[in-house]
Amino acid sequence: MSVGAAGTCDYCGLPVPLPLWRSAPVAAAPQFCCYGCRFAAAVTHSKGPEGAVTGLLARLGLAIFLTMNVMVFSMALWSEDFYGADSIAAPAWIGSLRGVFRYLSLIFSLPVLLILGGPLLEEAWHAVRRGRMTTDLLLVIGIAASYVYSAIAVVRDMDPVYFEVGCMVLVLVTLGRWLEAHGKLRTTAAIESLDALLPKQARVLHDGHEERVPLHVVTPGDAVLVLPGERIPCDGVIVRDRASIDEQVLTGESQPVSKSLGDLVWGGTLALDGGIVLEAGSRPSEGALARLIEHVREATLAKGHFERLADRITSWFLPTVVLIAFGAFLWHATYHGIDRGILVGLAVLLIACPCALGLATPMAVWAALGHAARSQVLFRSGEALERLATIRAVRFDKTGTLTTGAPAVASFVAGIHEDGEIVLSRALALANVSNHTYGRAIAEFAEAGSPNRSTVAGIQYVPGCGMHAHHVEDGATLYLGNPGWLQQKYLACPRELAEAIEQARNEGQALCCVGWGERIRGVFALHEQIRPEARTALLQLQGMGLDLAVLTGDHATRGQALAAELGVPVQAELMPEDKVAAVERARHEIGPVAMVGDGINDAPALARSDVGIALGCGADVTRDAASVCLLGNDLTHLAWAMALARQTVRVIRGNLFWAFAYNVIGIGIACSGRLNPVVASLAMVLSSGFVVANSVRLAGASHSQDVSPLAPLSLVEAQEAVP
Amino acid sequence: MIDLLMVFAGGLLGSSHCVGMCGGFALALGSTSRGSLHNLARQVLYGLGRVFTYTVGGIAAGYGGWRITQEFRAIENLQAILSISAGVLLIVQGLIAAGLFRRLAPGKSHHGCAGASMFGTLLRETRMRNVFLAGLVNGLLPCGLVYAYLALAASSGGLWMGGLIMAAFGLGTLPVMTLVGWSGYTLSTIARMRVLRLAAWCVVLAGIMSVTRGLGALHA
Repeated sequence: MSVGAAGTCDYCGLPVPLPLWRSAPVAAAPQFCCYGCRFAAAVTHSKGPEGAVTGLLARLGLAIFLTMNVMVFSMALWSEDFYGADSIAAPAWIGSLRGVFRYLSLIFSLPVLLILGGPLLEEAWHAVRRGRMTTDLLLVIGIAASYVYSAIAVVRDMDPVYFEVGCMVLVLVTLGRWLEAHGKLRTTAAIESLDALLPKQARVLHDGHEERVPLHVVTPGDAVLVLPGERIPCDGVIVRDRASIDEQVLTGESQPVSKSLGDLVWGGTLALDGGIVLEAGSRPSEGALARLIEHVREATLAKGHFERLADRITSWFLPTVVLIAFGAFLWHATYHGIDRGILVGLAVLLIACPCALGLATPMAVWAALGHAARSQVLFRSGEALERLATIRAVRFDKTGTLTTGAPAVASFVAGIHEDGEIVLSRALALANVSNHTYGRAIAEFAEAGSPNRSTVAGIQYVPGCGMHAHHVEDGATLYLGNPGWLQQKYLACPRELAEAIEQARNEGQALCCVGWGERIRGVFALHEQIRPEARTALLQLQGMGLDLAVLTGDHATRGQALAAELGVPVQAELMPEDKVAAVERARHEIGPVAMVGDGINDAPALARSDVGIALGCGADVTRDAASVCLLGNDLTHLAWAMALARQTVRVIRGNLFWAFAYNVIGIGIACSGRLNPVVASLAMVLSSGFVVANSVRLAGASHSQDVSPLAPLSLVEAQEAVP
Repeated sequence: MIDLLMVFAGGLLGSSHCVGMCGGFALALGSTSRGSLHNLARQVLYGLGRVFTYTVGGIAAGYGGWRITQEFRAIENLQAILSISAGVLLIVQGLIAAGLFRRLAPGKSHHGCAGASMFGTLLRETRMRNVFLAGLVNGLLPCGLVYAYLALAASSGGLWMGGLIMAAFGLGTLPVMTLVGWSGYTLSTIARMRVLRLAAWCVVLAGIMSVTRGLGALHA
């Protein structure tokens, strides 16, 4: 188990609830989020070098052994009580052993009280110091009270005794908490498995000979050797040799990428067929994978709607339960004797334990977040997950989202009176500093055709339209962008270029024009490729009952061609603010809207939507406008993420309902005096077990070192879950 | 008393079923021992831990069965009904183990749960008291055969009888399990299958006997 950051449990890595009156957690020795984790950590850490089990586990076993004996004695006493010494169930000499059994019960249950009750008391003390309220303290008091009462009864030779209640309850509560801790560990296993992708050691080259060092020793600038089949330890640039790299963990691309001299590689990816030497670019703890893990951990800390709801319920639930328990104790003690009072109070405390309630939401969310991260879908918070489940409409940006974002220049036409080379060189100057995919395509194209270099200054980007800058040599303002925008800027369009534009539009190609001095000088027709999986992904989403549309700044004819190709309505000729308006309109008319884009050029629309989804984040997960980041470019991950979100919300609702209803009904039964505390604690264990099992389902199959393919989620199920 | 002997024999013969399922644990126990006699002691202690758990289970089952008959005194033949039910359960368990009802067979020999990790840790123990505890926990692991015999214990009509029945069963499994763990001798897969099948039919036999006893006790 890696030690979590401040504020996280040292065993399961999940957030430690903050104290009521402090804003930061008490920074002290190892901290745990619950008794179960403290217990589990003590168990795992108590293993000595030869596997010798010291302390806790052996003590638990001893406690179980003693409890079994106490149960036997109790049953013997019960059968004798029922029928007296001449019962057919017991041999005749049992009667004389009655006193012996009572004293034996007393003696055997005392160690159990100390072994299991002691740590529980300690946990209650820790909670009080941190300003949190738990039922642990009252539980221990109740159990101790029942024990004291029974001890007095034995000494005074009165009936009856309740040693078995205290013992069984302690055993069941301990096991139940341990089960919860184990479940929490399972839900964070996916995140931990990401952590495990970084090797523990790296081979650093010093003057030609290699040295194996622990991972954290690697510093930027070190030469790191990676052999074929090994995982790369840190981000860096290749300085020697080449290799095929499996980057699936960060990009979702199942095809290996060929990388060679000067290429960037990321820690955690797998070098397949070649050994490489790379120059470390960042510390391993600050690399892309580490940042991804950090984001997921942050996401688990952010509380979503359901979690806040559960917190609100718990905040008044706990004091109410305590009052009810007291009330029941007093009532039954008055009318039926103090022993009955203690038992009823204990039963109420046990059955009402809000452990399941407190776990219901977080466990499901953590499991889903980890599973998603392992499948290259990053949710920024549990809230993003919950909101995604409510989505009814999805709007797509076109460029870079539905298209591969790597258009190529299909043709270039310069004005009749222009020097092609000059036009290209000026276009190149602008395109080189463009952040748009068209700019990059033009730069690549123009690079080949123009030996001259121009320089520009005073660059300005106008989103959705283009860019302009001052040509340094002759001071003219150069424009590169939409034909429509250039015409708005009073650049005249020569006839031959207008024809070229018309033709390109008819063929459904994208256009980009360059111009200066009040005239458009050249036209680039760009050919975009729709992502191969786009149709499938859109069909999947339609199958889930979502309303889809594409928002694009392209010309109407291009939009129509696109609509025919994709099978989805296209809203064309939209400026960025129009896109925002379209998102708003969709929200008014249909419901919560998700916007899918690349997170850079359509940040406003992304931010305005209910859930912004950014594609192709890769190792750069800092696209803040998006609450969901798809690390790769595969659109089918979208439908998968939707299905996961819906399934998670279903699980959360199920958990909350179960935990709450269970508690309320249980309290009712307990108050009436019909509930045995042992049965109550057993029921509590089963309830926690149900919540854990239900939530762990979301964590997906256990992940081995290699990335598993997307877990098949039933889209039919997901469709039925539309709220 | 003849009953107890039959149960002991059932345990003896059924223990090959135990070897099949839980023999691995016994071998693991032996892997960290220091010397042959030490291993033998560990195996016996481990077995006794199991027997202890079974006995306690038998007492609890016997008590439960007895309480049910007392509570529902009005229902005649409850004792007989319990005997018959226990017998049927044993027969079904035996038939499953013999390879019929393949659909119903559980089909997994490892129990993945938190208890397994605790169990595993205890198994690698060197100290004697922890070996006993390992046996204790092993007895708590789910096992259809044990449940069937527990049903028999419940039908016995009293807690001490129930305890004796399960103790007899447990002690019956002791020789073979100790031997396997001590000697490391394991049957080949085919031989194991054959022995398991034989053991299964022994269990069926015990079930038939319970049913006949119940039928005989039925008031007409």
